[in-house]
Amino acid sequence: MIPLLLIPVKLAAWLMLAPLLPGIINKVKAWVAGRRGPPLLQVYYDLARLWQKEVVLSNLASPGLIVGAAVAWVALVCAAVLLPLGPSDSAVGFSGDALLFIYLLALSRFFAAGAALEAGTAFGGMGAAREVSYAVLSEVAIIAALLTFALQSGSVSLNQMLAPSAGPGAVLLAGGLFTVLLAENCRVPFDDPNTHLELTMIHEAMILDHSGPPMAAALHGAAVKLLLFSVLLAQAILPLGELAWGRGLALLAGMVVVITVGVGLVESLLARLAFRRVPLLLTTAFLLCLFALLTAWKGTAS
Amino acid sequence: MVSQGPLLLFAFLALLAGGMAGLRWGRCWLISTVAGAAAALAAGIWVLATRAVWEWHGPCAIGGEIPVFRLDGVAALFLVLLAVLGAAATIYSHEYWSEERHPRSACLGRVWWNFLLICMGLVLLCANGLHFLIAWELFAVSSYFLITLERSRLEARRAGWLYLAASHAGTLCLFAFFALLAARTGSWQLGPLRDHAELKPLFWVALVGFGLKAGMFPLHIWLPSAHASAPSHVSAILSGIAIKMGIYGLVRFTSWLPTPEAAGWVVAALGMVSAVLGVAFALGQHDLKRLLAYHSVENIGIILLGLGFAMIAQTYGGASWGRLALAGGLLHVWNHGLFKCLLFLGAGSVLHATGTRRMSRLGGLWRAMPWTAGLFALGAAAISALPPLNGLISEWLVYLGLFGAAGSRGVAAWAAIPGAILLAVTGALALACFVKVVAVVFLGAPRSPAAERARECGIWMRGPMLALAGACVVIGLAPILFWPALSSAVAAWAPGWAADAAPVPLRALGTFHLALVVVAGAASLALWHRARRNGLTRGPTWGCGYAAPTPRMQYTAGSFAGIITEWFAWILRPERRRHDPAGLFPRNAADHERTPETVLERVVEPCGRMIMACSTAVRRLQHGRIQAYILYLVIGLAVLAMLAFAGGHR
Repeated sequence: MIPLLLIPVKLAAWLMLAPLLPGIINKVKAWVAGRRGPPLLQVYYDLARLWQKEVVLSNLASPGLIVGAAVAWVALVCAAVLLPLGPSDSAVGFSGDALLFIYLLALSRFFAAGAALEAGTAFGGMGAAREVSYAVLSEVAIIAALLTFALQSGSVSLNQMLAPSAGPGAVLLAGGLFTVLLAENCRVPFDDPNTHLELTMIHEAMILDHSGPPMAAALHGAAVKLLLFSVLLAQAILPLGELAWGRGLALLAGMVVVITVGVGLVESLLARLAFRRVPLLLTTAFLLCLFALLTAWKGTAS
Repeated sequence: MVSQGPLLLFAFLALLAGGMAGLRWGRCWLISTVAGAAAALAAGIWVLATRAVWEWHGPCAIGGEIPVFRLDGVAALFLVLLAVLGAAATIYSHEYWSEERHPRSACLGRVWWNFLLICMGLVLLCANGLHFLIAWELFAVSSYFLITLERSRLEARRAGWLYLAASHAGTLCLFAFFALLAARTGSWQLGPLRDHAELKPLFWVALVGFGLKAGMFPLHIWLPSAHASAPSHVSAILSGIAIKMGIYGLVRFTSWLPTPEAAGWVVAALGMVSAVLGVAFALGQHDLKRLLAYHSVENIGIILLGLGFAMIAQTYGGASWGRLALAGGLLHVWNHGLFKCLLFLGAGSVLHATGTRRMSRLGGLWRAMPWTAGLFALGAAAISALPPLNGLISEWLVYLGLFGAAGSRGVAAWAAIPGAILLAVTGALALACFVKVVAVVFLGAPRSPAAERARECGIWMRGPMLALAGACVVIGLAPILFWPALSSAVAAWAPGWAADAAPVPLRALGTFHLALVVVAGAASLALWHRARRNGLTRGPTWGCGYAAPTPRMQYTAGSFAGIITEWFAWILRPERRRHDPAGLFPRNAADHERTPETVLERVVEPCGRMIMACSTAVRRLQHGRIQAYILYLVIGLAVLAMLAFAGGHR
C-alpha cells in the first residue's frame, strides 16, 4: 500500500523539481562567463507566464498540435514514474518495464515531432527530421545500456536493473549515457538552446510555432526529460538502490546536481558540433555502452 | 469436435455462393462473403479457445490422395486473421471498387476475391502435401488476377508479371520440398515427423519457397511493386494475410519437421536484415503505397526474428525465453495484419480522394478527411510500436525473449544482443518513417489542387477502418485476453513448452496502457480547455519574414528522410539527376531523386540479362545450315571415338 501512496508524492517531486535543472545550467553558464545570469527559478516564472498567455495557432495547424503537446508531455511523465528513485522502488514496476520506458520516450518523440510539423513550416520539418534521426542512434545506445543492466542484474525490471552499481563498466557507461543525455535533451554539442539561427536548431525549431499553454507543456516536458536522464545516469553508475533511504536519496539528489553542473560546464566550454559530426559522436556513445555491455558479460561470467 | 466442421463447410459454401453472386449482385456478394468470414472466424476462435484439434478425412480421393483437413492452434491463429481482414477488406471494397467507378473489373474482381479467400483458407486447412500444393498454386494465381485487376495500366501488368514469376519460383521450391518429403516418408500426408533426422536438409528448400511468398529481405523483389500497383483493398489483403501464408508455411513445417542446427540462426539473421533494411528502403520511398509495402518487409523481419529465436531455443533448450519470442512473433502476425490492413485502407482512401499516391502531391488532408487522417495516424503509431497500441505488445514479447536469451549467457546470447539492438534500430527508424508519412500526407498545406479538392470517404470505407483501429486498441489495452490464444498456438508449435508456463506480466502492461490513455486524454482535454480559456487565435505560419511562401516550399518527404537515407546510401543507392540554376537570370532548376529496387535492379536483372546473353550466344549454334550440323556430328563422333580409344584399355 505504501508504494502506491508514494506515487503522488514522487510525481509531485518530479513535476516540481524538474524546472530547477535548466535554471542550474543557466546559473553555471553565467558563472563561467562572469555574468550574474537569470534567477535560478526563471523557468518557473516562464512556465507560469506561458500558462496564462493566449494561444496563436497557425492557420494550417490541426487540433493535433495541442493534443500532441499534451501526449508528448504525458509520455515523459509516465516514463519518469517507471524509474525508481534510489532506494525507493517504482510502485508500478514490472518485468519488462525497461522496454516500455524506451517506447514511452519514443511516444513522446512521435507526438512532439508530429506537433512540430503541424504548421507546415520548413523549420519544424528540419527540427523534427533531426530529432527523429539522431534519436535512432541514441535509442541504440540506451538499449545497449539496458542490456548491460539486464545482464548484471538478471532482470528486465528497472527497479532491479538500476539497484546495483554498474560494476567494471561504470566509467564507460557514464560516458555513453552522458553523451546520450546531451543529445536527447538537445544540449551543446548537439544543439544550442540559446541559438537564434533557425537553420541550425533542433528542439527550438520544433517548438517555433507553439505558444501559450502548449509551449509551457513543451518547456516543462523538456525539463522533465533532463531530470529523467540525469536520474537514470546517476542510478546507472552508483548502487543507490542498496543504500538506506536518507543517504540514498541525498546521494541521488547530489549526483543529479553534479550532472546538471556538468552539462552547464560542457555548454560553457565546448562549441557546437557541425551536423555531420553528430552521428559520429552518438556512435561513440553507443560503442561506449556496447563495451560496457561486453565488460558486464565477461566481468561477471565466472 | 463436431461443430467446427459445419462452420467451415458453411464458410466455404457462403464464400463460393458469394463469389458466384458477385458476378451480378453486389449486395448479395457482400452479405454472403461476410457471413462466410464470420463462420470461419467462429471456427478459428473455437479451436484457439478449446485447444481441440479438428480433423476431417475426405470420403473419396482427389488426385489419388484422400484429402485431410486439419485445424490446430497454429492454423487457427492464421484463420482468425484471414477471416477478420477478409471481412474488413470485403466491406471496404464494396465502396472502393464499386461498379460505378470500375464497371469493367468490379464483378470479375469479386469472383477472384472470393476465390483467393477460399484458397488461402484451404492452404491453412490442408494436411496433405499434394492438396496443399494445389491450394497454394490456386492462391498464387488468384492473387495475380487481383493484382492486375486494372489491366489497362502498364504498371499493374508489370507488377503482376513480376509477382507471377517470383511466386512460381517459390512454388517450384515447394514442389521440390513436398516431392522430396513424400519420397522420403512414402506418403503425402503431413504431420509431426520430428524424429526423422534425415528430413533436416529439406528445411532450406522450404525456407526459399515460403520466404519468397513472405517477402523476407533478399527475396522481397516482387513485393513493393505488387503492393503498390494493386487496388488498395487487394494490397491490404496481400500485405495483411497473403504474405503471412509464407510465415504460416515456415511456422508449420518448423514445428512438424526436424530442422538443422543452423536453421534458427539463419532465420533470426534474415529477420534482422529484413527488419532493418525493409524500413531503410521504406524511408527512401516517395510513393505512399510502396512505402507501406516496404514496411511489410520490415514487419516480416520482426516475425522471423521471433520465430528464429524460438528455433534457437528449441535447439539449445531455452523454453522460458523461446516461448516468449515465438508468442511475440505470432502475435506480430496478427498485429501487423491489423495495422497494415488499416494503413493500406487509409492509403486507399487517400488515393480514392486525390487520385495520386505521390506524397509530394499530398498534404493538409486532415481538414478534408479527418476520419482517415486520425485512423491512419493511429495505425502509424501502432506500427511504430508505440504504447498503448498493439504493435508494442508483440515487439515487447520479442524483446523479452531476446533479453531472456541474452541473460542465459549461452551461445544464444551472441545472436540475442545484436537482435535486441537491431530491433531497437528498426523501431526508431519506423517511427521516423511514419512521422514523415503522417506529416507529409495529412498535415501542413495541400501541395496540389488534387489534395485541396479531397473529400472524406464514405461510411462503407470508414467502417472497416474503424473496426481495425478498434482491434489495434483492444489488443494494446487488454493483451491478457489474447494470451490464451497465443499460448495454444505456442503449444501446438512446441508441445513441450506449454508445461512450464511462467506468468507473463501482460496484465501489468495492459493496466499501464489503460492508465496512459486516461492520463493522456485528460491532459489533452485540460490543455485544450486552458487554451480556449486563454483565447485561441489563428495566424499565418511564421515564415522568417519571407513574403510569398507557397505550399511547395514545405519540408518534403525526401528532405525529411534525408539524414537517414544518407546513412543507408550504401544499400539504397539513390539515383539523383540535378539541373542547377545557372546564369544571371536562371530560368529553371530541377532535382530528381529516386530510390531504385536495389536487389531487383542491381542483382536479379543483371543476372537475368547475363543468362539471356549466354542463351543467345548458345543459340547461334542452331541456324539451319545442314553442312554445319553435319560438321557438329563429325566432331562429336570424333571426340567420342577418341574417348573410347583413350579409355579402351580399361
